[in-house]
Amino acid sequence: MSASAAATLVSVNLAAVIEQASVGADPYRIDADGAPYVPAGDGGIVLGLRLGDGVWEHVGDHAAPGACLTHSDPAAGYALSAQACIGNLVTVRTGAASGERGMVTGKRGEGGRVIATFAQPVLSQLRPGDQVAVRGRGQGAADLVPGVTLRNIDPDLLAHLPVEVSGGVVSAGVRAVVPSRVVGNGIGRPTPMWDLDLQLTPASAAGFGAAGLRLGDLVAITDVDARFNAGYRRGWISVGVVVHGGSPQPGHGPGVTVIFSGPGDAIVTHADAANHRGLREETVRGVTDGDR
Amino acid sequence: MNVTSNAEQLLTQVLAGEVWPPLADRHGFRVDPDGRAFLLPGMGGVTLDVHCGDPATGYAGDHVEPGLSVRHRDPAANYALQYLSCIGNTVTVNSGPGAGAEGFVIGQHAYVLVDMAEAQMRQVTTGDQVTVLAVGQGLALAGHPDVVVKNCSPRLLAALAGGTRADGRLEVHVAARIPAEAIGAGAGMASEYANTDLMGAYAGLGDDLSLGLEGLRVGDVVAMADQDHRYGRGYREGWLSIGVISTGSCQLFGHGPGPSTVMSGPASAFHVVDDADANIGVLAGQSAGAGQSAGAGR
Repeated sequence: MSASAAATLVSVNLAAVIEQASVGADPYRIDADGAPYVPAGDGGIVLGLRLGDGVWEHVGDHAAPGACLTHSDPAAGYALSAQACIGNLVTVRTGAASGERGMVTGKRGEGGRVIATFAQPVLSQLRPGDQVAVRGRGQGAADLVPGVTLRNIDPDLLAHLPVEVSGGVVSAGVRAVVPSRVVGNGIGRPTPMWDLDLQLTPASAAGFGAAGLRLGDLVAITDVDARFNAGYRRGWISVGVVVHGGSPQPGHGPGVTVIFSGPGDAIVTHADAANHRGLREETVRGVTDGDR
Repeated sequence: MNVTSNAEQLLTQVLAGEVWPPLADRHGFRVDPDGRAFLLPGMGGVTLDVHCGDPATGYAGDHVEPGLSVRHRDPAANYALQYLSCIGNTVTVNSGPGAGAEGFVIGQHAYVLVDMAEAQMRQVTTGDQVTVLAVGQGLALAGHPDVVVKNCSPRLLAALAGGTRADGRLEVHVAARIPAEAIGAGAGMASEYANTDLMGAYAGLGDDLSLGLEGLRVGDVVAMADQDHRYGRGYREGWLSIGVISTGSCQLFGHGPGPSTVMSGPASAFHVVDDADANIGVLAGQSAGAGQSAGAGR
């Protein structure tokens, strides 16, 4: 449950390592039409993919802008993904990029992974196995307004996103508003540790006003309550950040890390398919260049 | 089902399994849709008094798995067991006081789920060895090339109502039609493994959670709208997947009674008939060989 408005947020230093992308013994995955493909960009360090890029602009599978962070101990990995929040500072502690900074821009389900975005010159110096520290802060934040639960984001970052609170209502500018039925992998899972994949393809996205979906965009999902596990609840809205790109796999697609969720009468969304601006590299620089 | 199939070409593999215990972690509780903690039985082991034809909802349980829940200790052997076991396959108990009892597979749920007569089921417990005669993967309907069949034994195919119509479509009888909004956990996973949890069936909770699915029964044949489950479970407008309800009540949010998929294709390839009797409980009264020798209408 959300903390009371008076409670002070706790900050924690979480240890993590830069992930190596991994696959099984079989190089192929099977796409929604039954064709085999070799997944590229699924986890680890991905160069050349940036916040603001289109989710289908590159050939990849769940490719995230930056590096995925994980922990060798599964339980510590779950704690990492549960407690890291969008907007948290990431500091590299070992390797060629030691001392450089990045920011948490999302997280992914199943294995307990955090997505961190770095400036491209920093990213190119990272190597799987490099150790980083995440300044975890955000879980337990007070409701934005009564009934609207904040999740997975440092509340200080909201000032840099098109989110406003006024008169007991949260207003959010988003790229698109999509219906619950397109939510695939991640439904039924705890939202602090999983993103929600949108089952959209370049062919189908236009029908949902999402053809121009970009990494870092805010997206609203109707009829989903994502306070605890994500699930269908008529009349509710969940808003999140697009944290990774599309996927050829059935039931998968661009991923959304939910940042707030509440009844429809407390959340107003404004979709702007052409000019929406969500989480961008400037937002990351604002955090990494700050004095922490 | 009155349809031509390749059932006579299929192979049967003899697979070993073990009745697997219910599993928990040291914290015990999970969270319901309204944020309340619960601790309830349902998954794993032997769940008594729930059989095909019984209500799927209304139990003080979570992920209710009717009957025996079966796995193999070796991970790769377990995947083979989960992927190759098909609904309607014969299962025999090999150890313990229930040895010799016979049941049939009703679906997968990261366990192979086995229904049998209640009196025999009461003799079985965690750790008992079972044998599955696995046959069904590779089943194909020559007259319906757009319809992919999976997790369906020839015995089940023979027992289903419907079949090839004069207009070329495949007639399938279903006890319920499932809207795409109901598809919960299981989306994005392989459709030969576990099942598709349906939301909107939380009997006793809020109206805003309901999609009118509280009346589902264990074993019901259902039609899932806008679902393409040929290569994994995904949303695709204009497609249809047919499943069999193999698990029941959930309190965990985003979960619920779940169909194991048996067919998938464009909706235009099917003629769906609403039929309250569309339930695989008909298999319970058959001897194991009857459906296979009947040969799915070939």
